[in-house]
Amino acid sequence: MSIETNHHIESPKEKQNRHKAMEAISLLNSLREDFKAPIESMEYFYDLFERVHCKHESLHDDKTKIGTMCIQIPSEIIYALDGVPIRLCNGFYTDDEIGSDFMPQKACPLVKATVGHFASNNFTDKPDIVFSPTTCDQKTKAGSMIESFGYKFIDVDFPRTKDSEASREYWRRSVKQFALDLSKFQGKKLTKANLKNAIKKIGYAQSLYNKLSDFRKNEVVPILGLDVFLVTNAFFFDKIDNWIEATQKLISELEIRAKEKISPAGKASPRIVYTGSPPIFPNYKIPQIIEESDGIIVADETCSSNRMFNDMVAIDEWNMYDMMDSMSDKYLKACTCPIFTKNEDRIRRVIQLVRDYKADGVIYQAFAGCTVYEMEQRSVLEAMEKEGIPILYLESDYSPSQGGQLSTRVEAFLESLKTRRRNKK
Amino acid sequence: MFIYTEEIEQNLLKKSNMKNKIRNFINNGDLRKVRFWIQLVSFVLFVYGGYLAINFGSSFPIFTCPYNQDVSATCYLISLQHQLALPSKILFSPAFIPIFIGLLTFLAWFIVLNKAWCGYMCPFGTLQDWITSLRKKIGIRFSVYTRHHFEQLSKIKYVFLTIVLLFPILIGAGVISNNWSATFCQMCPARVISPMFTGDFSQWSIDFSSKTNMILTALGISFASLFFIGSFVKKRFFCFFCPMSALHYIFANTSIVKFKKNGSKCTRCGDCYTVCDMQIKDIADDVISTNILRDDCILCLKCVAACPEDDALHFDIFNIKIFSSTREGFEKRMNVGFNIKNDGETDK
Ligand code: SF4
Ligand code: SF4
Ligand code: SF4
Repeated sequence: MSIETNHHIESPKEKQNRHKAMEAISLLNSLREDFKAPIESMEYFYDLFERVHCKHESLHDDKTKIGTMCIQIPSEIIYALDGVPIRLCNGFYTDDEIGSDFMPQKACPLVKATVGHFASNNFTDKPDIVFSPTTCDQKTKAGSMIESFGYKFIDVDFPRTKDSEASREYWRRSVKQFALDLSKFQGKKLTKANLKNAIKKIGYAQSLYNKLSDFRKNEVVPILGLDVFLVTNAFFFDKIDNWIEATQKLISELEIRAKEKISPAGKASPRIVYTGSPPIFPNYKIPQIIEESDGIIVADETCSSNRMFNDMVAIDEWNMYDMMDSMSDKYLKACTCPIFTKNEDRIRRVIQLVRDYKADGVIYQAFAGCTVYEMEQRSVLEAMEKEGIPILYLESDYSPSQGGQLSTRVEAFLESLKTRRRNKK
Repeated sequence: MFIYTEEIEQNLLKKSNMKNKIRNFINNGDLRKVRFWIQLVSFVLFVYGGYLAINFGSSFPIFTCPYNQDVSATCYLISLQHQLALPSKILFSPAFIPIFIGLLTFLAWFIVLNKAWCGYMCPFGTLQDWITSLRKKIGIRFSVYTRHHFEQLSKIKYVFLTIVLLFPILIGAGVISNNWSATFCQMCPARVISPMFTGDFSQWSIDFSSKTNMILTALGISFASLFFIGSFVKKRFFCFFCPMSALHYIFANTSIVKFKKNGSKCTRCGDCYTVCDMQIKDIADDVISTNILRDDCILCLKCVAACPEDDALHFDIFNIKIFSSTREGFEKRMNVGFNIKNDGETDK
């Protein structure tokens, strides 16, 4: 028999929720208030994150939720089979701490947080099944752990090299297997028409992202990099039609801002290309430091943003297998993930972004523990040096304490970019 | 004075606007339609032009086969073979001049359009594209070669080219008999098929006059049958083996048109490779070469139309970009997101 009391003892889940809500709201408030000339239509996205992470609203009660662990799982197929893709990469420090009990001390915070989230079994939209491409070691190994927590978890074989013909064939087969598995799970047949519609819809979302990015090529950049990260992060879990509508509105507002030359950044703000470990809500630590120190992120090369949207599918004849193959190739060959043996594609991409977006410099951040990004740092730095592009390499994690020292380094870098630009003139 | 300069400036601005407009218009164009019409018109012109007494000479760089009496131009391979078969001493006499002129005319034709002859003008290529559309209408999927087979088969066109060049010389030198005359033509499916365009089916027969002729013409008939079966299941089946294509490639550097790639803009997404009828892998994977014309390429430019990266692929004449890949054009052609039925597809 329980006795009614006035004090309620907070359960671990409630505590987790409270902490996560605090993390979320502190970022959202800073986005809403800390910058000049806020964008009205961004409110949809601020509100979306608040609803999901502070009020714990679920968005997809009526649908099967298909969890994905990396960007290589084609969401076109998920939509075609009537599921909702939910990308489970996690950015919460609260979850990172929970995950620490399961992972080695020096593991990547993103993987730790993802594992922690699964361990807590505390989801607003709990995935009914999870598909995980075997990308980096830590994610791959985390899979079996997550499975042991009692989730339906399926590995999707992903090759570690992408130049050979064998890897192309291998991945095409994996994607077909994935489609089969999911179709069985959903009890639904993948049809030509459904897949085609899904490709077109994702294509449209991609084209919106690209329109959004085009504004960032302007001399006066009308939108913060932070806001763009939020928009692309929302694509991880939002209802796609809502996302499309909100992004369309955002684009119309940006059109006006571009004409009136309204910008949240200053005139002399150095333009930054951001690359490395992905900023995932609410871990926007580095982008926040950059933009609060008078920098403006004009483009990024990360899997939480640009890499999700850049490459669109082309088809010659809309047959099932041609759609599948073309899609598979895009997810493998155009991917600039550091898990691959070589990284020339990534370097070329960063250089091209610097040129297209007239950036002054590159900021490369790696999560402490994300071995592949840490390892690739050398070759990217060397390549940038050769091209005469200034670059700053930072290591960070999810802990809130580290701020001061990082700010100093970022500020010094941005200052040097300003001086460089003045000297050029 | 001041007003004048302003006017000039404005005129210049107008001009460059005009230029941009034209450029956008072309880059956003629907390549399928453009190709369809050019191909249709050239087909009629070259195959039935004889009726109108049009004559473009005998050094045409495409399969306009003179076994069809009404062509308005003839395939260079037949004249080339006849000329090479002339007794070898002629090579050093004034009679060599026609050979030389023939080659020059061929080159002249070729300099103008390069392999675009294949993608837009060759009636034999066009016929294959029409067979492809038929297959598409029926709703049968096309086949592709595996990479391994591709690499093996890709050499066959050079074998044919060797036949074109070597056998006539052997005849000229008296090593083999006259029955071998125009060896390749005897085997060529275009000889069998082209006359059909004007209702002449007489080439569907075997020449029993000698063992050599028998074998060669029998081969011709088998190739012609293969042509229909092959191009029904495989896009541009024959072009892959075409000796003319090999010959084109050898002279490719002489042309004023260039097919270029800017590797730094390419993301290797593979869209171009997906749509390429000839399965040319370098088009997507090679980010080093700036000249991206490969020996199998037919310069159809489908890849340029399917590339979403601005200026990653472009087709140049005199180093001026005539048709470039653009994201805007890509989205228009792929009809991204909108009006799902209307994507340039003929099927439902
Ligand atoms: S390759 Fe094809 S299009 Fe070109 S000449 Fe040969 S048959 Fe004609
Ligand atoms: S379509 Fe364009 S970007 Fe994609 S691989 Fe081909 S050339 Fe590169
Ligand atoms: S490489 Fe391009 S132009 Fe050449 S055949 Fe392929 S699609 Fe056509």
